[in-house]
Amino acid sequence: MKAVRTFFYKDSLFRLFSLLSALSVFLICAGIFLSLLRESVPALREFGFFGFLFSVEWNYAESLFGAARPLLGSILTSLIAVTVAAPMGIGIAVFLSELCPAFLKGFVGTAVELLAAIPSIIYGMWGLFVFAPFIEVTLQRGVSALFSGLPFIGSFFEIHYAGGIGFLTAGLVLGVMVLPFIAGVAKEALDSVPKELKEAGYGIGCEKWEVVRRISLPYAGRAVRSGIIIALGRALGETMAIAYIIGNMNIRLTSVFDPYVTVTGVLVNEFNEASGLQMSSLFLLALLLFILNFSTLAVAKFCIAGKKS
Amino acid sequence: MKPTVIRRLRGRLMLFLSSAAAVVGVCFLFAILFSVIRNGIAGLSPELFTDDAAPPWIENEGGMRHAFLGQLLLTTVAAIIGIPVGILGGIYLAEYGNGSRVGRFIGNLADVAIGIPTIIIGTFVYSLLVHPFGGFNGWAGAVALAFIILPVIMRTTEESLRLVPWTMREAAFALGAPYFKVIKDIVFRSGFSGIFTGVSLAVSRIAGETAPLLFTSFNSNYLTADMSGPVPSLTVTVFQYAGSPYEKWVLSAWASSLVITVFILFLNIILKQIIKRRQVL
Amino acid sequence: MTQPDFRCEIETRNLSFSYGSKTAVRNVSLSVEKNKITALIGPSGCGKTTFLRCLNRMHDLYKGNRYEGEILFRGKNILEKGTDLTGLRSRVGMVFQKPTPFPMSIFDNVAYGLRLKGIGNRQELTDRVEAALKKAALWEEVQSRLRTPASGLSGGQQQRLSIARTLAPEPDVVLFDEPTSALDPISTKKIEDLMRELKGQTTMVIVTHNMQQAARISDWTAFMYMGELIEIGKTDKIFTSPTVKMTEDYITGQFG
Repeated sequence: MKAVRTFFYKDSLFRLFSLLSALSVFLICAGIFLSLLRESVPALREFGFFGFLFSVEWNYAESLFGAARPLLGSILTSLIAVTVAAPMGIGIAVFLSELCPAFLKGFVGTAVELLAAIPSIIYGMWGLFVFAPFIEVTLQRGVSALFSGLPFIGSFFEIHYAGGIGFLTAGLVLGVMVLPFIAGVAKEALDSVPKELKEAGYGIGCEKWEVVRRISLPYAGRAVRSGIIIALGRALGETMAIAYIIGNMNIRLTSVFDPYVTVTGVLVNEFNEASGLQMSSLFLLALLLFILNFSTLAVAKFCIAGKKS
Repeated sequence: MKPTVIRRLRGRLMLFLSSAAAVVGVCFLFAILFSVIRNGIAGLSPELFTDDAAPPWIENEGGMRHAFLGQLLLTTVAAIIGIPVGILGGIYLAEYGNGSRVGRFIGNLADVAIGIPTIIIGTFVYSLLVHPFGGFNGWAGAVALAFIILPVIMRTTEESLRLVPWTMREAAFALGAPYFKVIKDIVFRSGFSGIFTGVSLAVSRIAGETAPLLFTSFNSNYLTADMSGPVPSLTVTVFQYAGSPYEKWVLSAWASSLVITVFILFLNIILKQIIKRRQVL
Repeated sequence: MTQPDFRCEIETRNLSFSYGSKTAVRNVSLSVEKNKITALIGPSGCGKTTFLRCLNRMHDLYKGNRYEGEILFRGKNILEKGTDLTGLRSRVGMVFQKPTPFPMSIFDNVAYGLRLKGIGNRQELTDRVEAALKKAALWEEVQSRLRTPASGLSGGQQQRLSIARTLAPEPDVVLFDEPTSALDPISTKKIEDLMRELKGQTTMVIVTHNMQQAARISDWTAFMYMGELIEIGKTDKIFTSPTVKMTEDYITGQFG
């Protein structure tokens, strides 16, 4: 009887501790929201929520700050990244799960997994030392030379700052960074398509591509789509990969090769030296990114992955 | 006859395009590996592991020892905080909270929390542990990393435990075991290799984090075990060195990146072997 | 449908069990004789396994279930509030359809229930593990490798290990839930033999979809259909001259 009571006591204790541990996730999320909100109060008082959201100012001298450009920069670079990486990632997945000869499969698969695990700072270094110079001599010079004579359109492709730095380059590096993730998710989804389903397709005389297009991809579609949205969320919050190459200039965009700002870029560059209203504005920026990212991931989770047909 | 030919041609074209996409994508990925290996090997030297930071104008001196050890310290403390809490939370999600509203809510929240930008966690911990205590400190860095690792471990633990068949639990219950003993002796043990793999991957992930450390443990040029002040870390040092104008520092940054990459490669290969062996058993 | 007086181990009175809105066991009253084998037969989905799992209140692990009526175990109603479930389960053991070797050595598997009871004495553990393995007819095969993982045993051996583990703490009753349905004929025979051996020492209730098995080993046979107890009687009588037409149809293979 005594043993039973100790059991009951210990079990309740264990249960309580495990519940508290689980709740820590809630505490972290709520803590992030509340503490960022608290720190943002001065900026909110000064500029108002919408005033801050739509303002393009970022002026230390006059203490005027606004989120429009950093937010636009984050969204723009992330959209570039996903637009480039999604088709390529799905291509890699189709290649790996349907076409790839067996001897290559392990090798390419491991390389993709490895690259998904490499820290983003390494992507940042590669972007700075290898990719940006490459973009400068190929894409930037080539494209701007192509359009330079044309009226109106030409100005969209002017190079204002040398070195290959800019939001386009940053978006492409982000794309390379989320590529292994998308490829991994898509490959897993394609591998989970039941063999019988594919055989049924071949059985009625489908070509290989038709099986991929009409059977495998629709079957895997939900997982792939939610993977792409998660990749978008990652790109939004990515810091180190683009910290060097975004250029971090709060300017009006006139050319696709212009440097620009992202929320994470502003945070990296200014947070440790900021104070007063600037600090509060940085916290408000972080809060906006948190909300944007959180809702993106929630969309991926509940609107796409969550629905069971 | 004709539609078949069109179908076949279209199929060939699309498969060619997806192979081409794959080739281009894989080329990019290999380009990164290639740069890291080429530049990294050029920067490798014994001093990298035996020396601490030295000013860039002193030749043949200065390494990353302080940063390697600092990173190890931060990661270890983060793991000590994050792993037990994460595993216990995962146990709640898979066992006590299985099917309950709280369990489902926390599980979903953890999925979203995994994707919170790490720099945001850095700003949060700054306002929690840096600003109130008067300056950058190692504890803040470790806590930031622990916050990142926590939901990952929770989810991976939950998934591993869910793979343990229910009959296994029932068999233990049928012997008169209380739930905590069923979990401790049967479920946890059965899921251990899965949890171990997941935890290792999660730890390797935070070992490469930079952004959450920038505003918390910051960086230092000195070897230190004092967590109440700034603690050097490999990743932040790489960030500063790579952005510096000194060629020597840039080389050190490449070499360190190579070390990180090789470490991750071997970890992945080893963990893959563990997973494989588990499937055989 | 009366059962003559005997030493009754478990008795259910008007037992109904439902989970959610589905009632799986309706109004079942039957008695289980001490140290004998009672078999529960019936088509799949008839509620026999659900009934069996009422007897050690296994259903309580899951939410949304409701018992009505009484289950008397040695005269005490185990459906009463405050019943100590872990204590109940240590006296009413259970063997499952599939073998459930715990992720530990053969010895530790069998010793698990003993340790739960607080038996820590090395010698006593060794003796009782050996005794249980002998009862389960497994001792000869494993005595040289007691320290190796239980997962290394064959399916039939694993099932006998599960039985040894259940027997080790010397429960009053052992419930078998289709214990041989995943096994080959030779392993099945071994388990049937050891169940016959255990008669006289342990009360056993077995759910089986195999009517020959019920006829071979049990003393009492109960036929269930759609959650209700249709008939219970001495096994030879049920299989030769059942009183209910439906039982006769079932055992002669007209449905099920």
